[in-house]
Amino acid sequence: MKRRNFLRLSFFLAFLIFVFPLQSQERYRKSPPFPEPLDELKFPKIESFALSNGLGVTVARREGLPLLSLQLVIMAGESHSPEKFPGLATFTAKMMTKGAMELSSSRIEEIIESIGGNLSVSTFLDYSVFTFSFLEEYLDEALEVLSKMILLPTFPRREMDNEKRTLFYELRRKGNDPEFIAQNQLFRILFRDHPYLKGAFTEEPIKNISHRDVLAFYDQYYVPNNAHLVLVGNLNLPTAVRKVSHYLNTWKNKKIESQFIPIPEPSKNEKICLVDLPQAEDSTIYIGNVIFPKKSQDFFPFIVLNQVLGGTTNSRLFMNLRESKGYAYFAFSEINLFKRSGVFLIKAKVRPEVVNSSVRECFREIEKIIKEEITSFEIEQAKSYLIGNFPLQIETFESFCSRIAEAQAFALGNEFWNNYYENIMLINSEKVFEIAQKYPLLTPVIIIVADKAKIMEHLIDFKEIEIYNSRGELQYIQKIGVDE
Amino acid sequence: MVKLYHSKYKIFKSLLIIRITLLFLIIFSAQAQTQKDLPFPIYHFQLKNGLQVILSEDNSLPIVSVVIAYDVGSINEQQGKTGLAYLMENLMFQGSKNVSRMQHILYINRIGGTLNAITSEEKTIFLQTVPSNQLALVLWLESDRMKYLEIKESNVERVKDSLIEEIQHRKTSDPYLESSFAFDTLIYPNFAYSHPVIGSREDLREITIEDIKDFYSTYYVPNNAVLCVVGNIERKRTEELIRKYFESIPKGKEIPSSPSLEAAQKKSASETFEDSIASLPGFHLGYGVIPKHSGEFYSLSILNYVLLRGKSSRLHKRLFKRERIVFDYSGGIEKRKDFVAFKLFVLCNNEIMVERSLRAILSEFNRLKSTHLSESELTKSKNMFKVDYIRQYATSLERALFLTDAYLTHGTMDHLVSELNRYLEVSAIDIIGVINRYFTSDRRILLKIKIK
Repeated sequence: MKRRNFLRLSFFLAFLIFVFPLQSQERYRKSPPFPEPLDELKFPKIESFALSNGLGVTVARREGLPLLSLQLVIMAGESHSPEKFPGLATFTAKMMTKGAMELSSSRIEEIIESIGGNLSVSTFLDYSVFTFSFLEEYLDEALEVLSKMILLPTFPRREMDNEKRTLFYELRRKGNDPEFIAQNQLFRILFRDHPYLKGAFTEEPIKNISHRDVLAFYDQYYVPNNAHLVLVGNLNLPTAVRKVSHYLNTWKNKKIESQFIPIPEPSKNEKICLVDLPQAEDSTIYIGNVIFPKKSQDFFPFIVLNQVLGGTTNSRLFMNLRESKGYAYFAFSEINLFKRSGVFLIKAKVRPEVVNSSVRECFREIEKIIKEEITSFEIEQAKSYLIGNFPLQIETFESFCSRIAEAQAFALGNEFWNNYYENIMLINSEKVFEIAQKYPLLTPVIIIVADKAKIMEHLIDFKEIEIYNSRGELQYIQKIGVDE
Repeated sequence: MVKLYHSKYKIFKSLLIIRITLLFLIIFSAQAQTQKDLPFPIYHFQLKNGLQVILSEDNSLPIVSVVIAYDVGSINEQQGKTGLAYLMENLMFQGSKNVSRMQHILYINRIGGTLNAITSEEKTIFLQTVPSNQLALVLWLESDRMKYLEIKESNVERVKDSLIEEIQHRKTSDPYLESSFAFDTLIYPNFAYSHPVIGSREDLREITIEDIKDFYSTYYVPNNAVLCVVGNIERKRTEELIRKYFESIPKGKEIPSSPSLEAAQKKSASETFEDSIASLPGFHLGYGVIPKHSGEFYSLSILNYVLLRGKSSRLHKRLFKRERIVFDYSGGIEKRKDFVAFKLFVLCNNEIMVERSLRAILSEFNRLKSTHLSESELTKSKNMFKVDYIRQYATSLERALFLTDAYLTHGTMDHLVSELNRYLEVSAIDIIGVINRYFTSDRRILLKIKIK
């Protein structure tokens, strides 16, 4: 008996010896390999210097490409536009490239293209930024044309009319986009009576902007002590300072009357607004509330929270509303942060008949974040996403330049992005749980952009709904099921 | 974060470094010398099964891009089976032996990476960028679907349905798509080159599971693929990993050759396309070219910048600024294997404007044919070209795509050292030469869009 067993065993062993090598070759294919240790993110040195006229200059060295990326930040955003001309900051920034002493707008375009350049302008709530990239051998030419545009703009009337028309139609076109409407409406409600309200400007006031308004805005804010220039590429701080100073030291500084921007209060009661967009096929939901400004201790725990809740297609909102319930085309959450405040929002595009259930599910997910501590597995997964994805966001010179400019505009310090990895690593379940309690996430403003006729009957959870048109004007307040 | 290696591994590693360095010294000394002018290193080797491997290190950020390109596209499709290449690309996400359906995407997303796939007329590319410590994961995923893709009836049907929906969606969201397909059949020399990558609804329905299995086993094999890894990598370790995951994939049969262009004739056409959904009239205008040598392609590329790249280009100034006769236009040169098409697509507010802009464009061509191109205009065009050329390798992913494309097009990357200079050496005479030779009425293809 024993012997037979042994025999069998030896057969088995022989069989193993024969088969095992074949199997073992492929065994590593069965499951995903473990990651190796992650290399440190070596951030290039970021150095700053201030010229005698107050203009800040920051340089970060990046090698490998014969290109330079430049950003000029002017601390004049939509919050600085006058009350009667929301949009003036945007319009003025656009006009800066449309004519300078001796240079027509066509000539400016030609000069920029001659140096392999590309120039664009964006305006945010707190600042405007000129983004200019070009071949590195033309730094002088680039600074020369930039200095002419910034120091000696002519704001030609014909170009102003052109630009007004362009901006007007651009805004009108965007005015049909449900997401644009929803975001603007959310900001209008959250920032009512606040300078940030001007960020949600519409096309109508653009028509009335005069040459004088643009000139006055330019005079007030386009001064070197209100500006910062960032350069990224293969150059050092002394060279950059010398060249920038050569072209921009005649830019006269001036005392600017800093405008006090109060800190807006978050919404304390849940409120729902329906923006009627007849013929809209789907319903767009935005749910948001005021949180903290860009410079804040709460930034890191909150971005981890956001990641778990709705940062990607693997996050809770997307998994619930799209993958599990099949309500939504998409469902995400995001954070928009500014100098004095910020907004946390959930956005989803859903089928009209499930709009009520979708809002309910969004609230359920927020509640879960507030009431139950997130497992450390989920926290670690969110962190590994944030850490893994970050270098992808700063890969091009332009995107890296934007990050530095942003850190300057919000006075975050040159070390901010350098410490990004470490700061994320420090976040754990308790810190996220703590931050979830701190802000009134459960009393947000709810915006729904949809065809009213399609969805009104489905909105059964709400007693009082404010009805708006797509330009943000209140039409009436609908009360449902209130007997007394 | 500190790098922690197991000590045993470390010793093993340093031994290997010596061996591999020696090997590299022998094999790559010639290559390394000739390629020192490129702003990045290139290492190229071939596995026994024919897989071409290209590595390029860049340690500025802890990321790595992995691109796998299969040398097959819609050009290789048979009549009646259009859309097969694109269908195949989509099936690559439907699961393989050790990776279930759509898990590939989930794995990459979860670690903060990005991924995509592209099917063109000439090639099919799978690409991803991830944190560099996750390189093995991507190689594991890519090798599994190269070796063991699971082609199941249920997945095929699901993908077919979504592709048919996509065709429908593209047609309704772009009213000019049908006319551009019609234009391609006029400008390209034969069916293989001219039919759309997305295929047709009827053909997709006809494609059988056998067709797909046959296509997969013919083209999705190591001897028809290029694997390119760019980023924060250690060459030796990367090569090890690549061998581990790819070397055991069996070599495929000999790859059938692509349809040739030898029979292509010079042709011209002037036709009208009745469009039932478009709201504005316009036209497609183009010229088909088979360049005699690469120098002509370089000249055509710079000509493209003189004519229509940027706001100070000839056509932009004439059509938009001076005469204001077009509503919108786009165009450029398009290369499918050895055939180059120069294409323009113009939309106008009405039929009168259509005629006027057509005349304006032809007169700009004529002006360039007969008058001198100034040095400053040429320099401007070349500088714009140079920036765009450099941007082709600005990120790790872009560089991986750039190298893959260079290899697939030329079978080597040796030309890259001098390629940019070859473009920048194009003279005004060269440009006048190609526009006179190729932008002629007996090559002109015109398709006017009439709205119903």
